[in-house]
Amino acid sequence: MRKLHNRFQPIITLVLRLLLGGVLLVAGGLKAFKPDESAGAVAAYKILPTNIAHLIGYALPWLEIAIGVLLIIGLSARLAAVVGTAVMLIFVVAIISVWARGILIDCGCFGGGGAVDPSKSAQVHRAYLLETLRDLGLAITGLYLYFFPYGLLSVEKPLQIIEEQ
Amino acid sequence: MAKQAKATKTSGGDNFTRWLVIGMVTLVVATGAIFSVISQKTKANESFVALNNFKVGAPVTASVDTANGSGITVNTGAAKTIDLWEDPQCPICNTFEGANGAYIEDLVRAKKANVVYHVLSFLGKESVTAANAAYCAADEGHFLDFHKALYLVQPALENSGFYTTQNLVKIGGYVGLTSQKFVDCVTKVSKLDQVKAAYDSMAKYNVTGTPTVFFNGKLWERKNGGFVLDEFSAAFEAS
Repeated sequence: MRKLHNRFQPIITLVLRLLLGGVLLVAGGLKAFKPDESAGAVAAYKILPTNIAHLIGYALPWLEIAIGVLLIIGLSARLAAVVGTAVMLIFVVAIISVWARGILIDCGCFGGGGAVDPSKSAQVHRAYLLETLRDLGLAITGLYLYFFPYGLLSVEKPLQIIEEQ
Repeated sequence: MAKQAKATKTSGGDNFTRWLVIGMVTLVVATGAIFSVISQKTKANESFVALNNFKVGAPVTASVDTANGSGITVNTGAAKTIDLWEDPQCPICNTFEGANGAYIEDLVRAKKANVVYHVLSFLGKESVTAANAAYCAADEGHFLDFHKALYLVQPALENSGFYTTQNLVKIGGYVGLTSQKFVDCVTKVSKLDQVKAAYDSMAKYNVTGTPTVFFNGKLWERKNGGFVLDEFSAAFEAS
């Protein structure tokens, strides 16, 4: 089992890096140039004071882009994976928090965001569930990349490979 | 699960590279955030352009009565009543205003309807300053114009620092509200009692969101997801 994993680990790492990095890059890219929307989306969670929420809304897309790029090219992948996992876990907590408080919003994960008409409450609750599961999955992806950050097509190479060459 | 070893010095995984990466990420995030803050501020200030050719209407006498929830009331005694519940910062209220605002203004000016504007303030402290200014404008007979102007310049973000007393006085200036009385009323937030009373009356009327409309005291349940003038005017005619 371990042998099998060792054999495929470089490709697993590559796929997961592209997955987590790709999602972060797309999510950040869609929001970075719509600062109003992004700031409003964070404020709609009603967790932080409005001005701090706005500031996070302005900064978050750029953090997502930076982490996404690092994961895709495989530079400081371990560090990027840690930050990526943390970000995903924060999203999970935030979504569960609005869910528990009965607030109806669009998560604003890939742009958009803000309050949703009460008539769509069933769809919103379904979306909360899917978003929670998706972000948990991405957090697990990040965790794997923490343990195995080096794989194929990575700018950084681990110690053993260098010694083998 | 065994962790993979750290990268070697030659492979770009040393401490220097790590700090360089952290530095670059910080720089990107900070630059992006600053760029966003500046672009948002510029956009808010540019919104005053929308008021450049504002046509100031004739004054309309308005009253405020605790009996109907301290809303701003015009044409008391008209045959039909419209109660509008809205918050100056609520974006959907702006959509409502865009679709039906001109029609309602015509009804008011033609004295066809007794309209009660319940200016609420549940979206934060900038709603309070804006609602206060609306009550100040009502005192001067220019609530309709001021109300329209508020929505024309409404920023995309709630509580983003746009509805300051200073900016509200400026908005008043565009619609002919230049008296010292108005300026003092806005700056000193003199109508706080009425603003608070209007907000408190939401529970009494069972209003939980904005915009909410009552025709002759009966809740309007719109069928359309958005706001369509035809639906609104038909509902008013039928009421």
